Amino acid sequence: MPDAVTIEKLTKKFGDFTAVDQISLTVGEGEVFGFLGANGAGKTTAIRMLCGLLLPTSGNGTVGGFDIYRDNENIKKSIGYMSQKFSLYGDLTAYENLWFYGSVYQLKKKVLKDRIDELSEELGLHEFLNRLAGNLPLGWRQRLALATSVLHRPKILFLDEPTGGVDPVFRRRFWGMLYDLADKGTTLFVTTHYMDEAEYCHRISIMHHGRIIELGNPSDLIQKYQQPNLEELFVQLISKKSEESADV
Amino acid sequence: MIQTILALMKKELYQVIRDRNMLRLIFVMPIIQLLVLGYAINTDVKKIDTAVYDFDRSSLSREYIKAKTAGDYFIVSSENPPVLDAERGFKENLYTAALIIPNDFSENFIEKKPVNVGLLIDGSNANSASITSGYAEMIAMQFNRRQLDIPEPIVMRQQMLYNPESESIYFMVPGIVAVLITMITAMLSSMAIVREREIGTLEQLMVTPITVPALIIGKTIPFAILGFLEMSIALLFGVLWFGIPFVGSWSLLYGLTFIFLFTTLGVGLFISTVTKTQQQAMFYAWFFSIFAILTSGFFSPIANMPEAVQYITYLNPLRYYMIIVRGIMMKGASIDALYPEIIAMIIFGVLIFTSSWLRYSKRVS
Repeated sequence: MPDAVTIEKLTKKFGDFTAVDQISLTVGEGEVFGFLGANGAGKTTAIRMLCGLLLPTSGNGTVGGFDIYRDNENIKKSIGYMSQKFSLYGDLTAYENLWFYGSVYQLKKKVLKDRIDELSEELGLHEFLNRLAGNLPLGWRQRLALATSVLHRPKILFLDEPTGGVDPVFRRRFWGMLYDLADKGTTLFVTTHYMDEAEYCHRISIMHHGRIIELGNPSDLIQKYQQPNLEELFVQLISKKSEESADV
Repeated sequence: MIQTILALMKKELYQVIRDRNMLRLIFVMPIIQLLVLGYAINTDVKKIDTAVYDFDRSSLSREYIKAKTAGDYFIVSSENPPVLDAERGFKENLYTAALIIPNDFSENFIEKKPVNVGLLIDGSNANSASITSGYAEMIAMQFNRRQLDIPEPIVMRQQMLYNPESESIYFMVPGIVAVLITMITAMLSSMAIVREREIGTLEQLMVTPITVPALIIGKTIPFAILGFLEMSIALLFGVLWFGIPFVGSWSLLYGLTFIFLFTTLGVGLFISTVTKTQQQAMFYAWFFSIFAILTSGFFSPIANMPEAVQYITYLNPLRYYMIIVRGIMMKGASIDALYPEIIAMIIFGVLIFTSSWLRYSKRVS
């Protein structure tokens, strides 16, 4: 199976500050990959480089088989991106938001209409289609944002803290939807703060100060460090690393 | 590319239509501005309030006063107010001119000796003061001619072309139209992209396959359409309400307005590449508009400005458009007469669009 994302020694510096420090990883096609780390660990910077929003300082990478330096345009056609702030137009209706992003991806009129129907069925958005996106409750806005980012059926979907501020019931349902996408072969690259969500991932990486300090299957990692759950594991790893860097 | 541009245009127009305040700003403001500015910026001097001191009290002096006030220029607002208090009337704005006829007026006049008549003028508004003194002199000369039958060696017969009644409103309204579309298009376009940056949708757009030219075109055409709408409302109102004569070609004016909008939208776009918030963009656009209006010849002729400032006005696209609007509307100017202005606007537009494009591409990567 070809790899959806490969990164090799990817680095991003802002002046003297190294936000992402030589990270390397691969994500297989159809995999649900959890990209974890404390606040300011460099997750968002890494995702922005993969999506073509930022140029890396050094290192290599491919997304969907396309080089992140040279094949930006092809990458953009094959990925979806849902960011921490839901990037919807509050003064347009849910339907108009979907229609607009679909048109930007140049979907044919008929295809676009079918997809909107299909997605609003799956995500239960039907009754909200004619309401202004700005007036939707947070949980529904988040579903709408998910719908807009998968309208063009991307092969790889990047989600940057997609469930921030949403209640647990909504979060669980949201992950159900993500799993449906993964079953259909979409590769998911997710950052999150919620460790219960991280356990849904096939594999996770944990970032600290721009570096990947651990990478593997969640249950394997829990066993390796003999912790009761991911949350404990995360806290332990991060505080240990912080002490180490304090000693140096 | 076409589909993307159309989608962006439609989206942008929807957003404007949804915003009630914006609609009011676009459609009601031009009418209010035209009404207020059209009446307020009136440089015509008529009905000058005058205090008259007639120390002669003869039939001749009365005739002289009658001649003075015969036209619509001087009206007698107080007769023989207390002499010692003459200045107070100026301070209290009771009159702006005072005519003083000495007691030897008719005596000297009949004996063909030099006659002195005094005229005090409120000079605090320099412009209308000089016009007032011009009227007074003209009327005095006519009076001489009539009473004494002196043949004059040189008679100048003036005729004013294009605006025979010297109505300042015919001159101001085309200017106001130009000012309105400058402000509206520069401000709207400067905020358009910054707003998307602020709410985060710009980032979302940048991960789509949308290209920079498509984004720029799709974001600016809706504002060009609004600019045309704005201009049409203002023009129609000017013609129907104020009865402004429109001498030239409508299609030429619209065609050249398109080129002008290219420059103001370019400025707006450029502003949106150097600012981070809508507030900043608003201030920059405001600054540009003020600069553009003051150095356009809208209020005072460019020829009256200091030489250094006159050179600066060449950097102002509104300066060229002002000549075009007034030229077409008042003089019926044809395209041959306007080539220098057209070329200047095209150069400005191409430069500003290219530089915002370059800045834009740089920022995104």
